[in-house]
Amino acid sequence: MDRRDFVRRMVGVSMAAGMAPLLGTPVPLLGREDEPPIDLVAIRGGEPDMMFDRGIEALGGLQVFVGRGSTVVVKPNIGWDVPPERAGNSNPRLVARIVERCFDAGASKVYVFDHTCDDWKRCYRRSGIEEAASRAGATVVSGDSKSYYHEVDVPGGRSLRSAMEHELVLESDVLINVPILKSHGGARLTIAMKNLMGVVWDRGFWHSNDLHQCIADFAAYRKPTLNVVDAYYVMKRNGPRGVSEGDVATLKAQLISTDIVAVDTAATKLFGMEPSAVRYIPLAADRGVGRMDLEKLQIKRIAV
Amino acid sequence: MELRKLRQLRRLLSMVLLAVISALFLDPWNVLAPWVREAVTAFQLLPSLTKSLVGVGLWTAGAAAVLLLTLLVGRVYCSTLCPLGTYQDLVIALAHRRRPRRFRYEPPPYLLHYAVLVLTLVAFLAGSLVLLDLLEPFSIYGRLVHAVARPLLVASTNAAALTLASAGVYAVDPLPLTTNVGAVLLGTLPVMGLISYLAWTRGRLFCNSLCPVGAILGLVARVSMLRIVIDPATCKECGLCEKVCKASCIDSASKRVDYQACVSCFNCLHACPTVGLVYARPGSRSAQRLHPAEPERRQFLAATAAVLGGVLAQPTDSLVAAPPTKTPHPVTPPGSLGIEHFTSRCTACHLCVSVCPTQVLQPGLLDFGLAGIFQPRMDYADAYCLFECITCTAACPSGAIMPISLEEKKRLQLGRVRFLKDECIVITKKTDCGACAEHCPTKAVRMVPHETLRLPETNDEICVGCGACEKACPTKPQKAIYVEALRRHGQAKEPPKEEPQPESGPLEEFPF
Repeated sequence: MDRRDFVRRMVGVSMAAGMAPLLGTPVPLLGREDEPPIDLVAIRGGEPDMMFDRGIEALGGLQVFVGRGSTVVVKPNIGWDVPPERAGNSNPRLVARIVERCFDAGASKVYVFDHTCDDWKRCYRRSGIEEAASRAGATVVSGDSKSYYHEVDVPGGRSLRSAMEHELVLESDVLINVPILKSHGGARLTIAMKNLMGVVWDRGFWHSNDLHQCIADFAAYRKPTLNVVDAYYVMKRNGPRGVSEGDVATLKAQLISTDIVAVDTAATKLFGMEPSAVRYIPLAADRGVGRMDLEKLQIKRIAV
Repeated sequence: MELRKLRQLRRLLSMVLLAVISALFLDPWNVLAPWVREAVTAFQLLPSLTKSLVGVGLWTAGAAAVLLLTLLVGRVYCSTLCPLGTYQDLVIALAHRRRPRRFRYEPPPYLLHYAVLVLTLVAFLAGSLVLLDLLEPFSIYGRLVHAVARPLLVASTNAAALTLASAGVYAVDPLPLTTNVGAVLLGTLPVMGLISYLAWTRGRLFCNSLCPVGAILGLVARVSMLRIVIDPATCKECGLCEKVCKASCIDSASKRVDYQACVSCFNCLHACPTVGLVYARPGSRSAQRLHPAEPERRQFLAATAAVLGGVLAQPTDSLVAAPPTKTPHPVTPPGSLGIEHFTSRCTACHLCVSVCPTQVLQPGLLDFGLAGIFQPRMDYADAYCLFECITCTAACPSGAIMPISLEEKKRLQLGRVRFLKDECIVITKKTDCGACAEHCPTKAVRMVPHETLRLPETNDEICVGCGACEKACPTKPQKAIYVEALRRHGQAKEPPKEEPQPESGPLEEFPF
């Protein structure tokens, strides 16, 4: 950046700061001491990448979560061999933008992977995530080999006491969980907590040992640095794979929070369901993983 | 061209072809263009002849070209185009390196060879390719590469991937490796052992005793235009040609060549210190036939005619090999139309198994009975047939799996879902699961309310039989949901039409 650019940018910033109150969307340039911290940001009406920018800005920017030189795992849902408009996988533009912002914040390395359900290469390709994330500079890694997963204890787990977890999640400094909001035959909904099933190897154990309890147990153990719920395209039925585009509603929404229970609770409401009906949410809340009482949380609502 | 150089040319061509054919079976990254596969396999005689039964195409031209080539220049197929031939040559070369080998003229066991041919035909007419499954050389070689070389490649790739990953480099992706070990140990390796042993001790004996392609081409080569001929005028009677003949078909004492057994390797031309051997039209020089229509052959032909006549006179229904009656019988791959078509056209080369991205296609042993020995099957224990994949249907060189479009595949019913409610987690453990419904691409399995939980409900009319539910089902060892094979593939019905999402507009207001 040369000096002229810098000056121009500063002028822009100060104008934005000055205008913002008039527009009703205060831009927190500097965290003000008197304001309580924001627990959850909800954005609607924009494109996935731009909604993320607006949302993360409200939380003070991604550099709050991603330190200089840190290693980051961005974990989207890439479970199925379906194109983005089928809403089976997280939005590729959102994933790419998060990767870019990680590097802007000074990340040294950004990894993207998922333990897919369909053939991983086809999922990575068809979802558009492999291409978009690679272009943004991420290292796209396979989640398809048991050799990448290592046994970890899940302390306090009621059904799940240990799991095989992907080494990148174990070794990286930051985990950004990027689920897509979808209906789900077994778990009712798949959002942030359910998306973490993609960082473990033996999912069959979860399915055969009280799925909801296992999801809650693992969420208590593995807390992502940040959860970004993609609700741009939302699969309203026949999830998690879906049958056709007829299953999909275009909600154009997004939720960001460090609280995985809060973000799942809010997403469930977005979907049109009662959070208590998705059993792993109250189970996780009861374990103190996060909060379901949205009315008591500081929620930043942004309409783009 | 100097005749001595023919051996070099043969060596070069055969090694190139061996490399390409090996690559077909060794390509876990799917980098080879499909046309390479088509071009190379079209010239494999028996797969192409078998495929021609289901329709005429490039493969028909390939088979015709092979027969024509043999008619013109003898069994060069056996020395250059056949991967198992080249494999045997490598074994022979290794044996020779250990202990220099001297071959001796030995008339091949023609009766056995003819018997193989006749039995192959009889079995074929009865609806089984059992002798091709056992003896077809391209298929034997394919099985060898798939069972031995491919796992080695995958294992070394995975070792490299693991080492690099531990250094933080994720440049090499690990590859999946599952194989039906039983089928490999009991099927592929014994056959391989036999062929290697024969090559090591007796040269190309397999080609002139058990190989059905050798039998066919041998008959054609009897009347081929160009043959190896000993020229009595220039022959110095040194006997070198006989000593290097791995088909043991040169009788240097009587200066005669059995060109039915000659695999056109041209070692003799290379070894001859003079120009005592020529490659020419018999009769253009003083060439003698070693088998001037011996009575044995006449008997064979008569016997063949009698057997075939008898076979053909039978009503064909009674001859169709008794189908495997055990249920559930294995699921056959998409495009194979069903068990009958598949088992009567598959030469068990395992190319489909090699290209299958999920390895749901597995080498078989006796899954389709003895009549379908080694033929592959779908194994839903650890994998399923991807809804969006038709890779195997484009790979089959023998027409057992027919090419189909992706749209056809998506409505093709390989089998039908069966649900054992009493085995299901939701009933036995009273917890939610839904792994089956989660994976089902058509929602032939869906979760419906059951007390406070949700239980799978199946609709086998829209089931495509892909096995995703069976693979995903966590109950062990008996899966609570599985696919029952259809003897003949069917058509899955369209999933019931659902209204498009009513409120598909963007969110107007946050509900919290």
